[in-house]
Amino acid sequence: MEQITHEEKPSADPGRRNFLRALMGAAGAAAALQVLDKLEAAPEQVAGSLVRVPQAVADADDQADVLIRMQADLARALKKQPSERRWVMVIDLRKCVGCHACTIACVAENKLPPGVVYRPVLEEEIGTYPNVTRRFVPRPCMQCERPPCVPVCPVNATYTNEEGIVEVNYNQCIGCRACLTACPYGARTSDFGYTYAEGMPNADGLILGRDSAEAYERAASYEYSQPWPRPPGKRQSPMGNARKCHFCQHRLKQGMLPECVTTCIGRATLFGDANDPDSVVAQLIKLPNVMRLKEELGTQPRVYYIV
Amino acid sequence: MGALPKVSAVLAAAGEGSNYPLANPAQQIYSVCQQCNTQCGIKVKLVDGVAVKIDGNPFSPWNLVPHLDYQTPITDTARIDAPLCPKGQAGLQSAYDPYRLVKVLKRAGKRGENKWVTIDFDQAVAEIVNGGKLFANVPGEEDRQIEGLKSLRALTDAKVMKAMDAAIKKIWAEKDREKKKALVEQFKADFADHLDKMIDPDHPDLGPKNNQILYFWGRQKGGRSDIALRFFRAGLGTTNTHGHTTVCQGSLYFAGKSMSDQWDGSKFTGGAKAYWQGDTASADFVIFVGASPFEGNYGPTNRVPRITPRAAEGQMKYVVIDPRLSKLAGKAWKWLPNKPGTEAAIALGMIQWIIANQRFDAQYLADANKAAAKNAGEPTWSNAAWLVKITDGKPGKFLRGSDLKLVEKKEEKKDDQTIVTYVTKDGTVFNTDPFVVLDRDGAPVLFDPNDEERIVEAGQLLVNGKVGDFEVKSSLQILYESASEKSIEEWAEIAGIRAQDIVELAREYTSHGKNAAIDIHRGVSQHTNGYYNVLAWNALGLLIGSYDWRGGQVFASTYDMGGTKAEGPFILGKANPGALSPFGISLIRHEVKYEDTTIFAGYPAKRNWYPLASDVYQEIIPSAGDAYPYPVKAVFMYMGSPVYSLPAGHTWIEILRDVNKVPLFVACDIVVGETSMYADYIFPDVTFLERWEFSGSHPSITFKVQGVRQPTIAPIPGLVTVYGQEMALQWEALLLAMAEKLGLPNFGPNGLGEGVDFTHPDDLYLRMVANLAFGEKKDGSDAVPDASEEEMRLFIEARKHLPRAVFDPERWRRIVGDALWPKVVTVLSRGGRFQAYEKGYPGDGVRPGSFDEPYIVPTGAKFGKLVNLYLEKNVGVKHAGTGKPISPIATYIEPGTGFDGQVIDDSKEGFDLKLITHREIAMTKSRTPGNYWLRALMPENAVIMSAQDAAARGLKDGDRVRILSATNPDGVWNLGNGSKVDMVGRLKVVQGIRPGVVSFALGFGHWAYGAQPITINGQTLPGDPSRIQGFHANATMRTDPLVTNTTLLDPVGGSAVFYDTQVKVIKV
Repeated sequence: MEQITHEEKPSADPGRRNFLRALMGAAGAAAALQVLDKLEAAPEQVAGSLVRVPQAVADADDQADVLIRMQADLARALKKQPSERRWVMVIDLRKCVGCHACTIACVAENKLPPGVVYRPVLEEEIGTYPNVTRRFVPRPCMQCERPPCVPVCPVNATYTNEEGIVEVNYNQCIGCRACLTACPYGARTSDFGYTYAEGMPNADGLILGRDSAEAYERAASYEYSQPWPRPPGKRQSPMGNARKCHFCQHRLKQGMLPECVTTCIGRATLFGDANDPDSVVAQLIKLPNVMRLKEELGTQPRVYYIV
Repeated sequence: MGALPKVSAVLAAAGEGSNYPLANPAQQIYSVCQQCNTQCGIKVKLVDGVAVKIDGNPFSPWNLVPHLDYQTPITDTARIDAPLCPKGQAGLQSAYDPYRLVKVLKRAGKRGENKWVTIDFDQAVAEIVNGGKLFANVPGEEDRQIEGLKSLRALTDAKVMKAMDAAIKKIWAEKDREKKKALVEQFKADFADHLDKMIDPDHPDLGPKNNQILYFWGRQKGGRSDIALRFFRAGLGTTNTHGHTTVCQGSLYFAGKSMSDQWDGSKFTGGAKAYWQGDTASADFVIFVGASPFEGNYGPTNRVPRITPRAAEGQMKYVVIDPRLSKLAGKAWKWLPNKPGTEAAIALGMIQWIIANQRFDAQYLADANKAAAKNAGEPTWSNAAWLVKITDGKPGKFLRGSDLKLVEKKEEKKDDQTIVTYVTKDGTVFNTDPFVVLDRDGAPVLFDPNDEERIVEAGQLLVNGKVGDFEVKSSLQILYESASEKSIEEWAEIAGIRAQDIVELAREYTSHGKNAAIDIHRGVSQHTNGYYNVLAWNALGLLIGSYDWRGGQVFASTYDMGGTKAEGPFILGKANPGALSPFGISLIRHEVKYEDTTIFAGYPAKRNWYPLASDVYQEIIPSAGDAYPYPVKAVFMYMGSPVYSLPAGHTWIEILRDVNKVPLFVACDIVVGETSMYADYIFPDVTFLERWEFSGSHPSITFKVQGVRQPTIAPIPGLVTVYGQEMALQWEALLLAMAEKLGLPNFGPNGLGEGVDFTHPDDLYLRMVANLAFGEKKDGSDAVPDASEEEMRLFIEARKHLPRAVFDPERWRRIVGDALWPKVVTVLSRGGRFQAYEKGYPGDGVRPGSFDEPYIVPTGAKFGKLVNLYLEKNVGVKHAGTGKPISPIATYIEPGTGFDGQVIDDSKEGFDLKLITHREIAMTKSRTPGNYWLRALMPENAVIMSAQDAAARGLKDGDRVRILSATNPDGVWNLGNGSKVDMVGRLKVVQGIRPGVVSFALGFGHWAYGAQPITINGQTLPGDPSRIQGFHANATMRTDPLVTNTTLLDPVGGSAVFYDTQVKVIKV
């Protein structure tokens, strides 16, 4: 039995119908299209898209990789109204091996140019020889419930959306960087519009050359479920904007985990709906060895650490 | 529907709409990463033919634990991404490196000057094949005549080659020097018509001139290796095809090879390069030695999830023995920072304690043959209880039934064959002269190790006495004595740890039944004593009988792609028409004993010999430089950069620059690299995202697997035409084009056998995939399911951006046939074939606390044979430098010895720190300097020094320091082209390294690979200065006192030595 979850995405166009058919085969598509028809009949109510839950996710048991179990958690959460769920991230520092896969996966997924990073991982050595250990601390945006970055924006380009993620509206942002300074976690960086291949030579027919090489850097990211290409010679959003982690909400809408979670080789970054008592994260944030960063500031981060 | 128009308008304004093309299965291709050699599964996501994102492949056991069911539709997995390390994530930057070559380059200046012209592909191939005055325009080379492949392919008759080989084996077998000479004369008479084709008729064992063609490679995997070896060995007839194993962990593999040799009825043979890793996913206790699975070591994507989750939850605990606090050590239960090169001392201390305290698995060690193992439910067995003859106190060959006159040899003629049997007085018949163990009463019991019926269990494990006229000891006794040469306190002192640590390790290791694992890697093997370090650690696995058990020592297993097991659909092994039969001493002098050859000239030999190893990377070009045993004429290098990656790789530069020592040097590379910059021709290759390969497995993967790498983007160097067919300009195209010009019978029309053409790489690769899809059973019951219609459609849709020269569904279908085509699509759609999780790793079993309790069921990927504790094959093998016999058992040898057998001590000259190296997760050894994302994480490496050492030297964190050694007192690389590169880096002062040891990360400080300007067709292309950031200190690594153009090495296991150099660190 295929599971269908709803997501609040303004789309019910013919292209999406074709996409569904391609994805699900005739029988599945028929069922899905019935739901789609219902949604289209009342677009103002849910205005939703449909994400089919892969069987392997629907069938996940406690033996499955925790990533698959969390994808099942996600599918459950997506059935709810956005305001009924509470996304949290739990980072288990005992399991983080400082591989930086999350940092790079995020850069690749969101097409982050030089100088922009959403999720650095800090490394530290603790103790004195020979009693020494190492600790690695990933630092995404804390998605604070009371985010200091929001009120300082002069143009209201940054705000908390209804499921608790602090977003940046690139088209609204004027790049003043007030939010960069306001964030106590240093979670925001500025997009200066560069590419990594900057300064490399072009030499047609001799080597690949910069222009051809940077095609993947120019390709669109899909942040906030919109394409954001970076065409050469043009300066357009998000170039010039403040940028930050958004829990890969464009992936969440697809029933997919944030990149940093999905690529975590240590299974140290966990994600889900804290309002769902059966979710992996809900079990974890009850533990006594859980903490949040700079709790004293009253920002109420949605990112928890297990130490 | 009222509100829809408005929504549509919003979507139109947003361009593509709000969907997420990266989740579209028609925009994904599953393949295999090769940013390092771990070979993780990947899912490449494409937009408009550009690879824009790479994630892990959820079908692959490398990426998910457990991996997904193989039958999961790819429409489902489109939305299931799996983990992948940062190098894998950055993989597209290797493909889209701005410095990628797109044209064939020909040298236009002196070697290494980096002056090039582009040359037409066909023209370049013709020049290499035909030879001539190819560099007449380069000053000094006006009259230099280069021999082409056509004339170097001197001997072209496989029958003659085989006859010569047999004659040479006879010469080698003859021990009497005079009689040996007579056999050489006989050879000259017998092959008088062919002597002009020999390198030296007076030394026929050097083989034919074909051997002066040399092919070596860095990273080569299945498929490409099949074509390359078909070309060089079967096609050109050279024996000189050498891999790079010894720069990675040669002694690990060759100690494993010795341990995996099997008794074939007359000798121990057939061992393959073997590496056992620990099954950390199930073990209760793991000892990692010189292994760094969080940063390298065939990891981390596959290894970390098999370590951290259970370790964090307290279900497994582990120890790390490593002078440096690696990321693994940083989270360990116990970190033991030992002195580099003393790894065996710790193992031997543990062995001594375990044997003295009888903490071993006595039942396992008593099982003397296959039948006994089967009876005990053991997948493997050992020779621990077998008796060895002792002469003058020294262990020699195994005691045999005939020695004791307990059997009589009988020969019987049967259908033209002589059947030899050995019969006891009571009429028991053995197919081999039986080996001997003792029963409880001390009476000899005879057995055949491979006997599956007659169960033989030894009644005594530690034997030291007399049987008949023979002084004998059991293998275990010999090991015990070797481990007892020092007290535990002394072993601990040698290693620089505490005796109580050794005892604690030994007790803990023997407290979990078979559920304890040893995991060793380069830190154990890349020493001058590497082979014996490895034997010592591997012996511990035998003491608890953990080979092939879950939670114990595990072994890799791959699916057959040659069609051998199922005898079809395409039997590729036999499809090699006109294959030549290479023979003779190789350039690296391996798999033959120095003393047996006609060029034996006393000790020390001019260079080392390797009867027990192969692929001895550091020997290749220095041997050519010394013309020992003979000079080379044409050199081909594929995907390697030995100048950069080898210890003391700088010694290669001088030789490669010498056109007399290396008359022709052809490289295939994706950029102008640190080694290919010295080539005469560079043929552009394609990266792992643009090509085929069969990626094999690693021991930590306990499943039967075969990953398939396949083209995911169009080839960046474009297309060429060979055999009238368009194909990508890449390594295969060069091989096929040379074969075409040479008219080789095993390429081109009918190249894969009568009626089967080999005119495009697809002809071979698609058949290999078809074999993989069909499986290993003749009746087809092992085949994968057919792809659904939807998957067939998506398969083509996802590849629509590839040129027909690379992907042509009709051509592909034609090659494999209609019946197999949907199965081939199933395999390719999943990036390979992977055994089901439950099948490879069945049940959870019972977690044993002692050897007597039921064991956890064995793993799916099995070794399943005899594992040697005592190495009879080593008896009679001598060190070519000293002439002294090598040990047949694990033993301690002091590290840092030269070819003269003497321990080198440069500390007297002030070189007071031991240099080791490590890997950072974000950089491979040599292949990722163009990955800017990774460079941004860590722009440069550092000299890692303990706070104690820094304080003693007045050095501070962040100081710029130079590393010097006795054989590189200036601390520079001399590139031979007027440039020098400093070995100067930033100092990083830490607590996490043993005082007296300094380390640096490999992979930084490049001076080629886009780092320096190159001139092509008169146009100078500037380099990217970020690539030279940091430093690379391999040139400080010590060269041998006798063999001065070569790094220190392990004379037995062949490892190039990274960790036995003493250095000085000075502020600049």
